[in-house]
Amino acid sequence: MSLNKAKIGQTFTIVKIEGHEKIRKFLFTLGCFEGENITIISKLAGNYIVNIKDSRYAIDEAMAKSIRLAA
Amino acid sequence: MKIALAGNPNSGKTTLFNALTGKTEYVGNWAGVTVEMKVAAIKNKYQIVDEPIDIVDLPGAYSISPFTGEEAITSDFVLEAKPDVIINIVDGANISRSLFFTTQLLELGIPVVVALNKADIITKRGDVVNGHELEKALGCKVVTITATTENGLKELVKTASSSVGAKQEPLNFIDLDGNNDVARQTWINTILEKSLNKKHNASRVNLSDRIDMVVAHKWFGLPIFFLIMWGVYAFSIEGLGGFLSGYLNDVVFGEVIPDALNGFFEGVGVNPLMQALIVDGAVGGVGAVIGFLPLIMVLFFCLSLLEDSGYMSRVAVIMDRYFKKIGLSGKSIIPMIVGSGCAIPGVMATRTIENENEKRMTTILTPFVPCGAKLPIIALFSVVFFPNTSWVGPSIYIIAIGVIIISGLLLKKLFVWDNTSFFIMELPEYKMPSIKNAIIQMFDKAKGFIYKATTIILVMNTLVWFMQAFNWKLQATEIQSESILASVGSVIAPLLIPLGFVGWQLAAASITGFIAKENVVATFAVLFAMASEEALHVPGGALSQMFTPVTAYAFLAFNLFTPPCFAAIGAMNAEMDSKKWFFRGLAFQLSVGYILALLITHIGTLVIYGETAVGFVPAIFVLLAYAVGVTFLIKRANHSKTTLVATE
Ligand SMILES: Nc1nc2c(ncn2[C@@H]2O[C@H](COP(=O)(O)OP(=O)(O)O)[C@@H](O)[C@H]2O)c(=O)[nH]1
Ligand SMILES: [Mg+2]
Repeated sequence: MSLNKAKIGQTFTIVKIEGHEKIRKFLFTLGCFEGENITIISKLAGNYIVNIKDSRYAIDEAMAKSIRLAA
Repeated sequence: MKIALAGNPNSGKTTLFNALTGKTEYVGNWAGVTVEMKVAAIKNKYQIVDEPIDIVDLPGAYSISPFTGEEAITSDFVLEAKPDVIINIVDGANISRSLFFTTQLLELGIPVVVALNKADIITKRGDVVNGHELEKALGCKVVTITATTENGLKELVKTASSSVGAKQEPLNFIDLDGNNDVARQTWINTILEKSLNKKHNASRVNLSDRIDMVVAHKWFGLPIFFLIMWGVYAFSIEGLGGFLSGYLNDVVFGEVIPDALNGFFEGVGVNPLMQALIVDGAVGGVGAVIGFLPLIMVLFFCLSLLEDSGYMSRVAVIMDRYFKKIGLSGKSIIPMIVGSGCAIPGVMATRTIENENEKRMTTILTPFVPCGAKLPIIALFSVVFFPNTSWVGPSIYIIAIGVIIISGLLLKKLFVWDNTSFFIMELPEYKMPSIKNAIIQMFDKAKGFIYKATTIILVMNTLVWFMQAFNWKLQATEIQSESILASVGSVIAPLLIPLGFVGWQLAAASITGFIAKENVVATFAVLFAMASEEALHVPGGALSQMFTPVTAYAFLAFNLFTPPCFAAIGAMNAEMDSKKWFFRGLAFQLSVGYILALLITHIGTLVIYGETAVGFVPAIFVLLAYAVGVTFLIKRANHSKTTLVATE
């Protein structure tokens, strides 16, 4: 399931990051890659607020779609 | 000895840099604030070794391999300039993310000292870091610090200077499938299990998240943002800032100083022309600008508090949705907010935008945000034509947003590109903004403003005074309209007729505005000190001979939305890195300011006074020509769009 379909308020394990090489690399440096956890905090103004490691990030719909989570 | 500070965005590099060097660089609680590298000598307090120490502040990076232009500078610098020691600032609020960059820095062969920053936050959260374990695992020294309170900095400098010349052993990552980056992350997770005892669960909804649910709300987000900006501008321009400026302008620079000087010069019997040059030219012009100092200070104080609180990255989140529609993303809001202080760092902040087209567009649009230098013009016109109201300043801000959105739509139609941009933004936790930092920023900006007023504006003013006091035969003339300035202004003046602006004075003021926007005010001060009995800064003052309130507002818009001052134009040129785009950008900005002023004058005059303004007929022709031109360009763009698709 991709992140934009996932339930808000829950923690998921990342299965795969799709999409542009640049996006994948960048997310990787933040600690967002296969096997790591990601928590969806809320959806605000069309962006997803997520927790990766110890920080909050806002990511847009396109990016959310490229993050696939274990159901 | 050269010590470089490297670390993730928002880890506290600039705070540490300022603490070590006593500088007052821009600290903001969001990623992307520092985009240039800054060098300064260390403060005496920390110069604890014999050899002089230089500190270098680098833009933030999450890794050595560049992702945005901003990060490219970091890795280039670290790789090529070879500092003697690198202090790697590790953000105590997110240690595991920071260590990824650390493992890469350790491979450069330059001694690394880890500064574990934000110790106060670590303590507050109840987390415990075992520094010795960390040192052992990383193979470099770790010093715990709190940059904001300067805790542990001496120790840090001592450790760093004693590390010079030491051999830095890289960590070796065993890679199974040629990807040692994954090995890095796994390794970090293992060592943190041993060295970090975490009590704090970051993934739980906290106070910041709850605040975000309100301030970044789908519907409330934008109104709240407008309200905050309205408050800041009303407070700076019409509130406290306006009140103090009013006093300075009317009493200090309006009466006390000129009266004292005139009295003094008459007493000693100086040549009247000389007296006029000093009192009306130099002091009058510069005074007209310096009078607005309180306004600038109040504005920067407020903006600094707002930034330090962490609110600005939320603005990017709110704006992302709207900016996407014009081919931009929330990232573009950062340069624009920085640009509300000064367009130069604003334009430079476009470097954090990775998408080329988005970057160009933001470079063209950022100068539309009214900067600090434009504030005196806004305040002057507000006092003279709209006394006792508070809507002028904020309304300019709202027009700016409108102009940016419409311009964005237009640019998207005029130039072809594919939009593959994406948006991600770190949201730091909210915090109480630091009053100390705000005061430092405020005085720093005040210093810059006074410096500018007493150098470039003073020189320009003296020149303007000469040009209005002498004719081409270099004879002093009593009749301003025969002066050099009048004849120069008259060359440009016809171009302003379609906007309903009549008079060479207006052309002259606008031209001097390109040197520095404050000059518009200063030039008026010089011109009317001679030509009018009335003071400049009072309701219905000298300027009312030239304008109706409607054309005054249009003239204001004209000066704010045409290209910025030369320094900012230079920054645009540097960031565009393409002459073609640079000139397109300038032409675009010029046309936007021109057409906007034209529309305000003619529609405003028709609606409010029920009559046509001066220059109505030429205006119609200009509008028609503009419409034809834009349609032609859009057609051409559409054509190349279809050929682009056809060739794919
Ligand atoms: N609590 C706490 N905050 C800090 C500390 N050092 C920096 N900050 C804050 O972290 C934010 C980012 O600081 P800045 O120096 O601009 O980071 P840079 O992006 O790495 O240059 C600012 O809001 C600082 O006030 C610290 O030691 N403790
Ligand atoms: Mg910085």
